[in-house]
Amino acid sequence: ENSPAPLPERAIYGFALFLGSWFGFILYLIWAYVPETWLFSLGLTYWPQKYWAVALPVYLLVAVGIGYVLLFGINMMSTAPLNSTHTITDNFAKKQQQKKFQEEAIPALRDIPISEVNRMFFLPGK
Amino acid sequence: MAEERRFLSASGVPIALRRRQHSASCRELAVRGPRLQLRSLSAATSAVWLAAYGLFALSENSMVLSAAIFITLIGLIIYLHFVKIDQESLLVIGSLGIQVTSSYASGKESTTFIEMGHVKDVVINEAIHMQKVIYYLCILLQDPEDPQGVSEVVPLFQSSKPRLDCLIEVYKSCQEILEQRKTAPQSS
Repeated sequence: ENSPAPLPERAIYGFALFLGSWFGFILYLIWAYVPETWLFSLGLTYWPQKYWAVALPVYLLVAVGIGYVLLFGINMMSTAPLNSTHTITDNFAKKQQQKKFQEEAIPALRDIPISEVNRMFFLPGK
Repeated sequence: MAEERRFLSASGVPIALRRRQHSASCRELAVRGPRLQLRSLSAATSAVWLAAYGLFALSENSMVLSAAIFITLIGLIIYLHFVKIDQESLLVIGSLGIQVTSSYASGKESTTFIEMGHVKDVVINEAIHMQKVIYYLCILLQDPEDPQGVSEVVPLFQSSKPRLDCLIEVYKSCQEILEQRKTAPQSS
């Protein structure tokens, strides 16, 4: 079954990821800083342009910044407008079953219609 | 008989609620917002004209000044006629229906009538609106064939946005009229 406990397989995955990420980082530093002529003299000629060593991190950071604004905007767009019925009810409330009222028992949980809630709050003595 | 009470809107500007009882089953509730202030009008006009003068000083093109005057005039007319709502009123007639009227600053009035067969209830609902949760009054409409379900929600007093104390007054007045249609059902 699925459990969040530390298992031996997970320890091995973690160590492999740790080594892999260090290797990727050292490779990125070599590609960005070592001059092209030295790499050519070693026979490694098929590298992407060094322009991308600067461009990709910049793209990533700008995307993170835009992501903040985008998430805020998506939230505002998904908020139901004031004239939509989603502020009053939804499918679960429409299809709920009424349980029978039993004496001396706590009434069952249900979605109370908004008219009834309003009467209870705002009309005194009802 | 008419009575007027002062309240605050959701953004803090003072509004006035006027209640008139025309008959036992007919009531009119009107919410009036503040008029267009001379100081805000002068501030906006001066800002636009200063910006235009700054542009003229940079570009030496006198068309900028005439364009600014034109824009100010047209903008003021559009604002008064389409945007600035002075008074929103609700006329509840027990056996007939509910009429919602918005009066603009230029004198234009826009009216909507909802007949009583379509009205399920008038309630105070809370919803999220622009990073705030506000109370607003709304009319729940029903299909005449399906009296249990809510087919549409019509929010009221959208531009003056009264606070809860004013809304409770309007709610109580409307409920007094709406209750009468349960005790005295009409044969249609």
